[in-house]
Amino acid sequence: MAQSNFDRRRINGPEESYQPIFEHDEDERETRWKPGNPRKGRAPRNIRPIFLKAGLINQANGSAYIETEKTKIACAVYGPRQSKTTVYSEKGRLNVEVKFAPFSCTKRRVPIRDAEDRSVAVQIQQALVPSLRLELLPKSTIDIFVTIIENDGIEGCIAAGSVAASVALADAGIEMLGLVASCSAAVVGQELWLDPTNEEGQAASGSLVLAAMPALGTVTSVWQTGSMTPAEAIQGMEACQECCADIHTVMAQSLLENAQNT
Amino acid sequence: MAAASTSASAAPSSSSAEQDALRALTFQRLHPKTYLERFLAEQIRPDGRDLDEWRDVSVDVGSISTADGSALVRLGSTTVVCGVKAEVAEPELDSPHSGFLVPNLDLPAICSPKFKPGPPTDEAQVLSDRLNEVLVSSGIVPTYSLCIEPGKAVWVLYVDATCINYDGNAFDATLLAMVAALKNTRLPKATYYEVTKRTTCSRKVQEPLQIGRLPTSFSFGIFDGTHLLADPTSFEEPLLDTTVSVVLDETGGLTSVMQLGLGILGADDVLNKCIDAAKDAWRKTRRDVYGAS
Repeated sequence: MAQSNFDRRRINGPEESYQPIFEHDEDERETRWKPGNPRKGRAPRNIRPIFLKAGLINQANGSAYIETEKTKIACAVYGPRQSKTTVYSEKGRLNVEVKFAPFSCTKRRVPIRDAEDRSVAVQIQQALVPSLRLELLPKSTIDIFVTIIENDGIEGCIAAGSVAASVALADAGIEMLGLVASCSAAVVGQELWLDPTNEEGQAASGSLVLAAMPALGTVTSVWQTGSMTPAEAIQGMEACQECCADIHTVMAQSLLENAQNT
Repeated sequence: MAAASTSASAAPSSSSAEQDALRALTFQRLHPKTYLERFLAEQIRPDGRDLDEWRDVSVDVGSISTADGSALVRLGSTTVVCGVKAEVAEPELDSPHSGFLVPNLDLPAICSPKFKPGPPTDEAQVLSDRLNEVLVSSGIVPTYSLCIEPGKAVWVLYVDATCINYDGNAFDATLLAMVAALKNTRLPKATYYEVTKRTTCSRKVQEPLQIGRLPTSFSFGIFDGTHLLADPTSFEEPLLDTTVSVVLDETGGLTSVMQLGLGILGADDVLNKCIDAAKDAWRKTRRDVYGAS
């Protein structure tokens, strides 16, 4: 149910409107995943194919667009630019802002920013900060703006957002210790599945997002939610790290193509 | 873009072409008006176009599966994504047969360095309002076609456009995106059940929207009372005193005209000139922009 939000800065619709309710569909019930079934369409350790292109937003200092089947994210980097605050800071600041387009999720999202935007932004920031040489940029701010155009699984969005942001930072020419690749995993039944979609994430008992710098062999951030045994968590982290090495190759390739084309 | 200025500071072997490019970039930043005047004196614009030339348009529909209809439009570098989400609501008491069409344009910080994060800026609000006026006056989706059950349930179409890259002329690009997205929209067949007072939608049957006229817009700007520029870029826009937008429908007929500022070029009134130029551009480039079906 949508709450009535009269926003004087936008064109408003009726006070209340509801997401359409669909009829019960017996066929759909049959094809939905049940515990014990294998994964639909992919092997458990396969991630969705990544399409990554740098430099699409010419107004920004650096930008990237990532598409993994049904997740589409655009990211732009502005900076380093002068910090608005008067407080002196020896190290540069990294500011990440995430926006979900209203049509990106199954239920329409109201344009007002909410807690989910903020939590995704914090996770992306934590993944990226260890990789940047912020001590070279005193009094400066680097702004990263991420717009999620289509969302198929929130863990996938965080992972793809971190990948796009890292490529955009490299495209902007900001000095960094290494590219940050990120991968998500979920525990579904007894199995570990990498890169879960929205449907798979909802069937999962616990999920994990790991961000790493494969070039240095270090991990920059790990977020684990839900319930899983410590052994499953370690197994998940190892699987994600292996996968990050492959994602790193795709990222480097896209940056190389972009540099060769300009 | 910032990378170019840092690289030139290094090597003494950097070519004179690079140094010229840096000088030109600095001049553009410090004296934008003079920079543009120098180009217009040669009858050309900074991006190489003629004064009456339009940028290429590409429209891509239906790529967003979470939206009921979607379109991605590229007008030169200006990129706008538009998605249509349909929800169900009760109609207004005094118009029980009318559904709702709610268009909105968002100009977020991602698309240009001049927009800061936060609530919609004046520019976004004005553009949303103008788009709403054009969509309503052109009758693209008659509101009676959105009725599910008179007085009880109607469709609300939220048409949300987000600009991803702002290189001027967001109005034309957004109108194209919104119309293309509406044309692409398919709604599930909805039935209102009097017994439960609820509306249920079918998963299997989907219908396209009933579409009226298909508006497309052509925007111009007048620089310094001396030159008429078609399809201004983000560099030219702040330097223009007047903007004129001409909206034509799918037969090339005039739907609406908007003018902001004095419409005088030299000694002549420029409005008719703009309308003729728009019709000409429509014939040459935009007749089939929304596709055959």
